[in-house]
Formats: sequence, structure tokens, C-alpha cells
Amino acid sequence: MSYFFQLVVSGIVVGSIYALSGLGFVLIYKSSRVLNIAHGQIIAIGAFITYALTVWVGLPIYVSFPMSMIITFFLAMSVERVFLRRLIGEPIISVIMVTIGLMSILDGLIYLTPFGTENFSFPPFLPTTPIAIGGVSISWTQMLGVTVTFSLIAGFSWFFKKSTIGISMRAVSDDQLASMSIGISVPRVFGLAWAMAGLSAAAAGGIIGNITGLNFDTLQAFGIVVFPVVILGGLDSILGAVVAGIIMGLIQQFASGYLDGNWGLNGTGEVLPYIILLVILLFKPHGLFGIHEIERV
Amino acid sequence: MKKNNLIKLTLLLVAAFMLSLPVQALAGKVYKLGLSLAITGPTSDAGHPYSQGVDDYFKFVNDTKMLGDDTIDCTIRDDQYKTDKTKQNFEDFLDQGIVFYLNYSTGSTLALKKDFEEEKMPVIPASFHAGNLIDSHYIFLPIASYSAQAIGLAEYVVKNHKGKTPKVAMFIHPSAFGRGPVEDLQKAVAAGLDMEIVEVVEHGKNLDNTAMLKRLVNKGVQYVISQTVQSPVATMLKDATSLGLKANSFGEEGKLTFLGCHYTGGNDLVALAGPAAENFYWTTSYIITNEPSPGATEQLALAKRYNRGEKAANSHNYANGMMVAQVATEVIKRTKAKGKEITKENLYDELQNMNGDNAFFPGTTVGPVTYSKTDHAGVDSLQLYVVKNGAFQSADKPFIPEYTSKIK
Repeated sequence: MSYFFQLVVSGIVVGSIYALSGLGFVLIYKSSRVLNIAHGQIIAIGAFITYALTVWVGLPIYVSFPMSMIITFFLAMSVERVFLRRLIGEPIISVIMVTIGLMSILDGLIYLTPFGTENFSFPPFLPTTPIAIGGVSISWTQMLGVTVTFSLIAGFSWFFKKSTIGISMRAVSDDQLASMSIGISVPRVFGLAWAMAGLSAAAAGGIIGNITGLNFDTLQAFGIVVFPVVILGGLDSILGAVVAGIIMGLIQQFASGYLDGNWGLNGTGEVLPYIILLVILLFKPHGLFGIHEIERV
Repeated sequence: MKKNNLIKLTLLLVAAFMLSLPVQALAGKVYKLGLSLAITGPTSDAGHPYSQGVDDYFKFVNDTKMLGDDTIDCTIRDDQYKTDKTKQNFEDFLDQGIVFYLNYSTGSTLALKKDFEEEKMPVIPASFHAGNLIDSHYIFLPIASYSAQAIGLAEYVVKNHKGKTPKVAMFIHPSAFGRGPVEDLQKAVAAGLDMEIVEVVEHGKNLDNTAMLKRLVNKGVQYVISQTVQSPVATMLKDATSLGLKANSFGEEGKLTFLGCHYTGGNDLVALAGPAAENFYWTTSYIITNEPSPGATEQLALAKRYNRGEKAANSHNYANGMMVAQVATEVIKRTKAKGKEITKENLYDELQNMNGDNAFFPGTTVGPVTYSKTDHAGVDSLQLYVVKNGAFQSADKPFIPEYTSKIK
């Protein structure tokens, strides 16, 4: 039975990190209906900034981690200001193409630094002995990942539901023209959405980097790995990202734990989430919590 | 008057041409080589130092006039680990008139095998996949194949395991590169290597390996042999450590001892896994700079001469790149010494003569490089290393796996 609970715990841990990684997609899509293809690169940049501040500048990691989130917040805001601001009102496909270009530019810039081709790891800062309860163990790194994920998700949920600017962002998401007519600054909302996506990406990068080590290819791949999560959850739903992340995490762990290695099966943890994603999308094409818009003509 | 000027001009031109002849002769010949590899993109953490090793060694050859007045001009191009780009680069190199080609990935080496045959081009890839040599006459592996490495690790397990038949799992990259040694290891078991392969796990982009590790331990697995790159191994080692499943000594009962082939180890693994890398066993044919040797001194001096950072200087992939450049230079040198022209055909013949008394000792490997008409795997010897106190060190003497020849 402890094996089962261990898989549940691991599934929730992995799922919550998927949710955090996918949050950036949701934040940008929710306000601007744009898919940011360069999200994986921003995750990697966030991790590298944390490393640089910790190891090269010498700051304690509990200072460098939030600092990297703040830096990435402004970095993502600048990216939106420089590359995307002038595309407001242009077809969405044009904006997505720009984010593909942005991905190449960021790739190129990262390859100019040691982070592009070298491997690093954060200096150990957490106890190495895991927390173990009744045969189920969870490492401090994973515990930290879950805590940061749920704190950020709770914060963003509150922000969108209660704060004026959050409500403005939702309004812009619903109808840009109507929002402008009541005095909401659409460009400002877009900038803020990118900035918050940058902040969440830096958090995800720091956590993933702490688990896998800092390897650019591994980190940037999470921009793609979490794509099924946000599709399943519904591209514009924070709650959807959380639920879908945890579903994916649990499916992966259970498939790997109970199917792989039996009946000649292997790698089901990689494939099964996609099969389930396809099945769910057959019945709920907008994802589990995505808004189904009906256009009246 | 005009006629006189014309004669003077002609004489001047003739004189200039005559004078230029000895200068051209003095300038020596330029031998064109090409290298296509992943300097950026996937696996560039290995490709980048590899390219630096190749580049530095050829610069060294030219700067120290190792080939007299002749020089090597090796064009190095990034293919971002994409086979179509590799093919494009190779075709460009052919247009440049290369006489020797250095390739990188398993995928592109397999894909371009027919092109190498058609062009009759001697090739040394950075991939040690045994399958590269099947139906191929022109590919030469620099060191023992991944199959030989996995078999070597398995033999070490069998020799040092206490108790009944050891249960082993393989943790592999989901590609031709990862799958390469699986079949050969299974053949070795069928040929009498006393171990049981319980499971072959193809990994993905896993953030957590709990399910896999627990499953393996429940099945009685004690050893995990990895054939992949460092990052997934690092994550697995961290998970095993946090779950308390990593053996503190070789073969500790109820726990997992981790071992891996060439691209799983090296300083990058220690950088990624940190303290979790402790007691990881790794095999390769290359020397390491942690332990003094003439090859290590030469490697560090070369990196210093061309202002490389400490990471590149101490990378086994830098040694890897340096070694293939050493082999290419050596065959050019030997062909030249025989008074033959430097052509791809003559270099190919000379490579196949590199055996017996003609074996080549580059210093960057733990054994000599030997090739023949029937043997295109360079260094047959392997060295086992283990991480102790955060650094790899030799765990045993260099060895040649026994079952590699038994399964042929």
C-alpha cells in the first residue's frame, strides 16, 4: 500500500511542477489569446539567473530565487514591450510567429553564455534526508516545489478574482474593444501578463533546475512538455492547469509504476498522458476548465 | 615604343611567376577536413568541448609545424544535432574537397552511412554505436563501442557481485544511441554472462523516477546500467538518493548500484547531480585529468595554450575531440612519410594499417588505437572510474571485455 501512496505523492509533486511550468502559458493566453512558444526559454533563463546570483554573485539562494523572479518579471515585460506591443490588433498567428522568432533569438543569446553548453547545479541548500511518513518519502526539494507552486497559484487566483488589475486583465481577455471603451489600458494588461508569466517561469525554472540540474536542453524542453497539461486544463484556466498538471503527474507515475515492465510494456508513463488527453479532448474540446465561447451572429 | 613596353611587361610577368613558384612550394599543402556536430542544440554540452578539442589540436599541429610546411584546414560546422543539417554540411565539405571527415551523432552516422560508402570517405564519428560498423567499410569508431562498454560494465558486475545471479536493469535513451548496446548485452547473457536483465527502461523527460526506482527494487534489481546522457542519470541519482535506494558500496543488498557508459559520466555528471553522483561507476576509453598521466598533461597544456576554460580543459569530451584529431593527424603524417599523396583513399588504407607495431598511442586514451580491415573499433581497452569525494577516479586497471568477442 505504501507503494501506491508513494506514487500518489510523487504524482502530485510532479503534477504541481507541471502546473507551475504551464502557468505562464495560461497567464499570457488568458489575457491576450497568444501562445508563447518561447516559454521554455524563459523557464531556463529564470533558472540561470538564480544560479548566477547564487554562485557568481554569492547571494543566499533564498534571496537569489525571489530576485530572479523579479528580474524575469521585468525581462518578460521588456520582451513584450519590444517585440509584441506593436502587434496588438494584428492576427494571432502573426503574434505566435513572433514568439517562435523570439524562441530562436533567446536560444542564440543563451548559447552565447556558458549556460548554453555547460551543465551546472545549485549548491545544496536543503537537508538531504527526505521527509518520510509511513514508508512514503518526499525530498525537501520536491516539498519546496509543491509549496512554491501552490503559493503562487493561490496568489494568482486571488489576483485575478479580487484585484482591480486582475479583473481588468480578465476583461481584456473577454473583449479588448469593450475593455478599451471603459478605460482599461490593453497594452498595459498585455505587458503585465507577460511579466507575471516571466515570474512564474522563473519560479518553475528554479525548482526544475534544482531537481534535474541546470542543463539548457532539459530546462527549455519543459516549455513543450507541459503543453498537454495546459491544453487538457483549458488554455485560459489557472485551476485547469493545476488539475490537469496533477492528473498528468498521477497518470505518469501510475503508468510507470504499474504498467511499465509488465506485459512487455515500456515508456507508458510518456505515452499514456497523451492518449488520455486525446480522449478527453474528444468530449471536451476546450479542455477540462477552458471557456467555451459561443459567438452569436 | 609600344612593342618595347609590351616585351618589358611580359618579362616582368614571367619573372613574377617564376619567383612565386618557390614561394608556393614553401607554403606547403593544405589538407581539407570537415567536422559537423552539435555545438548548439541537444547534446551540445558534449559537442561544444568536443569541437574545441578538435579545433585546438589542429591549430597545434599547424602552429608547431607537425606536418612540416603542410597544414590541416578543418572546417567545423554546427548541425544542431539535426541529421538534415549534417548531410548538408557533409555535402558542402565534399565540394571543398575534404580527404577525411569527422562526424558526431549516432543518428546522422547511420543516416549518412550510404553517402560515406558512395564517396569512399574515411569517417570517425563521436558515436560509438556498434551498428555504425554494420554494412560499412569507411566508418571507424574511435574507441570501444557502447556495446563493449555495457558488456564491460556487466562483466564487472558479475565478477564483483556477492550472492546469486545479479539482477540488472538498463536505463537507456529513447533513440538508436540508447538502444545500441541492448541487444549485444542480451547476446552476452545468452552466451553465458551470468546475470539477468530484468528490465530495459527507456526514459523520457522525467522530473521524478520514484515509480521506476521502486519498481526495480521490488523486482530485486541491484544494478542499473545506463546508456544515455548525463542529465537523466543525474535526476535518477538524485531521486535514488532521496528515496534512500542508492547503494553506498558496490552491490549493497536491497539498494541500487548505478553504472554508465561514456556519455553518462564525466565532470558534467558531478556538476549536475552534485553529492548524489557519489559511487557512480562509469566506463570509457579516455583518460581523466583528475589523475596524472602524460596524456592528461598534454590535454591540459593544449587547452591552456588556446585559452580554454577549466571546464573544457578537464572534459572527457575535449579529450574525445582531441583524440580524433590526433588520429587524423597521425594517418596524414604516416601517409606523407611513405611518400604517398594525401587522398581519402590513401588515408583509408593507412588507417587500416594502424595495428600491431603500427598501433597508435595518443595518450588521451587508456590503450592504443588499432584498426585493421576487419576491426574498425579504435581503442579496445576500457577503464572503470568511480565518483569518490566529488570526483571520478580509477576503480580498476584498464580491461578488454571478454564477451565482446564471444558474441561476434
